[in-house]
Amino acid sequence: MPILEPEPLLRVSGLYAGYGKVGILHGVDMHIRTGELVTLLGPNGAGKTTLLRAISGLIPWSKGEALFAGLSLRDIDPGRAGAMGLVHVIEGHRVFTQSSVTDNLLLAGYGLPRGERSARVEEALAYFPEIAEKRNALGGALSGGQQQMLAVAQGLVRKPKLLMLDEPSAGLSPVLVDRVFSVLAQLRDSGTAVLLVEQLIEKALGVADRLYALSQGHIVLAADADEDDLPARLERAYFGQDAHPLVG
Amino acid sequence: MTRSNLMASWFYVAVLAVLLILPLTGNEYRALIGTRAAIYWVVVAGLNLIVGFAGQLAIGYVALFALGAYTASILAAGNVVPEMHPALALIAAMGVGAIFGLLVGLPALRLRTFYFAMSTLGFATIVTQVALGWQDVTGGGIGLSGPSMPAPFDTPWGLYWLCVGLAIICTIMTANVAQSRFGRALIATRDAEVAAEACGISKPKMLVSVFLFAGAAAGLAGGLFASLQTYITPDAFTFDLSLLFFISILIGGRGSILGPLLGTILLTLLPEVAAPLAAWSTFVYAGLLLLIVLAMPGGIAALLDRESRKALPSGRTIIPQHEALRALLGETRKRQRLQLSGILLAFGGLKAIDGLDLVVEPGEVHGLIGPNGSGKTTTLNVISGYYKPQQGEIALGDMPLAAGRPVGRAAEGICRTFQTPRVIGEETVLENVMVGGTLAGRASFVEALLCLPRARADERRIKVTAMQALTAVGLDSLADIRADRLQHSELRFLEIARALMLHPRLLLLDEPAAGLSVQEIQRLGALIKAISREGVAVLLVEHHADLIFDICDRVTVLNLGRMLAHGTPAEIRVHKEVVSAYLGA
Amino acid sequence: MLYSIIASGLAVGAVYALIGITYNTMFATSRVMSFTAGQLGMLGGVLGSMFILRLGLPIILGFAATLLVCAAIGVLTEFVAVRPVLKSLDQHLYVLSTLAFALMIQQVTATEWSTEPQPFPRLFGIGEGIWDEKYWLPVVTCAVTISALEYLYRRTLIGRAFLAVAEDNFAARALGLPERNLRVASYALAAVVGGLAGFSGGELLLAFFANGPQLNFYGFIPVALGGLGNNRGAVIGGLALGLFQQGANFAVGGIFASVAVFAMFIAILLAVPQGLFGSSSARRV
Repeated sequence: MPILEPEPLLRVSGLYAGYGKVGILHGVDMHIRTGELVTLLGPNGAGKTTLLRAISGLIPWSKGEALFAGLSLRDIDPGRAGAMGLVHVIEGHRVFTQSSVTDNLLLAGYGLPRGERSARVEEALAYFPEIAEKRNALGGALSGGQQQMLAVAQGLVRKPKLLMLDEPSAGLSPVLVDRVFSVLAQLRDSGTAVLLVEQLIEKALGVADRLYALSQGHIVLAADADEDDLPARLERAYFGQDAHPLVG
Repeated sequence: MTRSNLMASWFYVAVLAVLLILPLTGNEYRALIGTRAAIYWVVVAGLNLIVGFAGQLAIGYVALFALGAYTASILAAGNVVPEMHPALALIAAMGVGAIFGLLVGLPALRLRTFYFAMSTLGFATIVTQVALGWQDVTGGGIGLSGPSMPAPFDTPWGLYWLCVGLAIICTIMTANVAQSRFGRALIATRDAEVAAEACGISKPKMLVSVFLFAGAAAGLAGGLFASLQTYITPDAFTFDLSLLFFISILIGGRGSILGPLLGTILLTLLPEVAAPLAAWSTFVYAGLLLLIVLAMPGGIAALLDRESRKALPSGRTIIPQHEALRALLGETRKRQRLQLSGILLAFGGLKAIDGLDLVVEPGEVHGLIGPNGSGKTTTLNVISGYYKPQQGEIALGDMPLAAGRPVGRAAEGICRTFQTPRVIGEETVLENVMVGGTLAGRASFVEALLCLPRARADERRIKVTAMQALTAVGLDSLADIRADRLQHSELRFLEIARALMLHPRLLLLDEPAAGLSVQEIQRLGALIKAISREGVAVLLVEHHADLIFDICDRVTVLNLGRMLAHGTPAEIRVHKEVVSAYLGA
Repeated sequence: MLYSIIASGLAVGAVYALIGITYNTMFATSRVMSFTAGQLGMLGGVLGSMFILRLGLPIILGFAATLLVCAAIGVLTEFVAVRPVLKSLDQHLYVLSTLAFALMIQQVTATEWSTEPQPFPRLFGIGEGIWDEKYWLPVVTCAVTISALEYLYRRTLIGRAFLAVAEDNFAARALGLPERNLRVASYALAAVVGGLAGFSGGELLLAFFANGPQLNFYGFIPVALGGLGNNRGAVIGGLALGLFQQGANFAVGGIFASVAVFAMFIAILLAVPQGLFGSSSARRV
């Protein structure tokens, strides 16, 4: 590990966020460097989705700081974050069912000049030949797996420096999960940073460089993906005494 | 009596004093204004239960007022049917008002708020058109004379006393309702509809009573108004008047009696003190309405409520008193087990629950865990009747439970809490918990209106139980605090107290530990365990693995709508498939 | 007689349908039913008459000015009466704020324009009897509007962005669509449709401030019949309502026609709460 590290692409420090009166994140610290694929793991309700939403500006945060390429993300909205190169693909492959595949992608490029938009759409489709074939089909006519690919492709239209994905594997068959993850690896290799929220630990560790584990709003584990004994350490971090020592 | 209640009484006394002094001035114009204010208040008092308490936006209530005026005038004039005694004509006006109040209200029983607003608005337009067009009966644009009251009410001051007397009766009656389980239930359907259903409150049933009452009040007021005017034309019932009624309530504040009373007086006097504004009255009323909505949603009542601006002590801790549970649940009902068999529920093509069998025994804490989308909350919603499964049976003991009927569940002894606490922010903690006891009352709506002995007994009993429930969960010191001032964790305990009000056989808890501190989770765990030890079956959906493994007697793990495993926490803890499903495989 | 009932029925039906579309267009991006819909229809007539007859503008300029002012009022509605209450949509404060704003529009019109119905200019001077322009103008306008909206929604990116915001507001925001600006734009668009309704129906309904509440109610019925947000349903519902109303007018007279319409409205709402062409399945828990 180099002694003098450059400032990471994304740095989150002491972040507190939640919904209304309910605090979900209680001081999260993490960072992601350019060209790195980091996976964020954690049990249900740990705050993974909340963390992504706070970073991309979908919900406000109350305390702490998040810097992207040196700029603060406070009070940003997803549109401006996207323009900076920070793109969030939300959970549940929520594509627009009434619009065609191409239109879904064009919408992702809303605000870009017309020529550039079409070019970006083609580039994004090149990653997913299976949906490029169906470019005129309605979003609602795609299978769950194809919708997920479309959602990822929507993220790619913005040419992100950092792509954040929330459980892209949910509801997909193992073959399709591998397919989506191979695209993520491809992106990483071409220099895009990826933050991947996942439930499927082994598959996520298969592609990731590093991992963070979140539990009850705290980062409880940070490790490289190739370290030993990770499943057992994670299990302890979630269920066991590591997360929150019970008094008495 | 709290200080804000004391202040409210002073206001009532002041209003009453003005009403008594007014006749001493002998000025008959003042009698007219006073009578008008009293008549308006009769309408507004009834309407207040609809708008201020039930939260239904009845914006065209002038229609019922006009209907009452025409009914009384036509019957008393005898141009269509044989001439009727004015008193009988007034009673008939009340009846017509009640019937049409219910008819216009029908959409509110089933549809979104906007539809009800529209139907009252549409009704207002139509009543005016009919009054104009049906000349044989209404006299069309020329109008007809109002009923003249018999002695001693045939003088300005006589009519004044009649109307003031009726206004006082209306005030007392609506205040009685407001302080009864019906008033709380109405507010619950307004602010926490789903929670109200879970407490066994049927919104349609509540609304029907209120629509009848408010319609009758509006009809009566209309008849009195016709008598005051001595002559009525459709022009007397413009939409402005509807606005005046409606805005009086909003200026006064929702869920209050005094506020709307002051609002009515204020708006009745406004044209007298600001005559130049008369031409712009709609604009002024509309501007006021916009101002209230945007800047002062609490109305006058919120300004008067000093109590809720005092700071609460910080660093409060919730300390449940398990001994109180015995008193609360002591003579608990017959213990029953919950049994789900072969439940299948699909949304579109997606199977949310796919053939689930589940048994929850009385006296046990049963944990329900699984990854996101595995069907945990959906299962709770099937049990509590919000979803209707395509297949399968639910039974409590030997008795099958009707699917898709949330309102019936509370009476069966099934109570629940929600993922996001659903409470009435504007009511006190105690009142929130008392909502849970709505079903325990025996007195009817009419008994509550008149505050008869059974209604008073209900109130005492429900209050005692609610205090026990609050003590049990450790919130008794906050009983008089408005619920919207509580911390999130306190709301979770408040919901449990509300659920305990009905001596549940089965308690469903949906992620009760979310957002709680470690210490609070421990106390919550101990409380849940203590509740189950009183013979209640507890089904607990939770993400906090430590809590689940700590307090559950048995645990069922769901994955993709199916049971993946079940057993004791110790067994589940080492179950290979579970650990991998939970952690991901 | 039958033909004149059909002609006038289709004409007022088309106006109701356009007001229904006004409701729908605002609802799609904001989930708000705004009481300003009918007032915009009223303004279409009043402003048209004011610009062309009172101020003497050429018809085409008067038309453009009318739509422009309507659009401005649409934008103002969004800022004053919708945006501040969007956070608490479940409290239905928008019913009150839009009602208040609508009434303010109405009172200003009554005071500054006239409390009596005023004539509306004859635009083309084409046709007579049942083929008079006052009957076919609203129908043609309705057809043109629907086609233009179809084109907008299917062929342009901004139209698809409207649909995207309407279908899934959160996903649209996450994707970086300027949801707030789109909402403002849709309020302007809705206001233009409302203005068109009033302008095209001006010769029929005249320039009268009290048309507002009438149009509010009769324009809402097609929405309730056709299902919230369903423009085709609104057109079918609007035309059906117009024919029913004019038919009842002839059969039982004006007053009881209104009663019949109201009774039908309540009966249909209770029988099919989601509308004849709508579907509803709101998740509550």
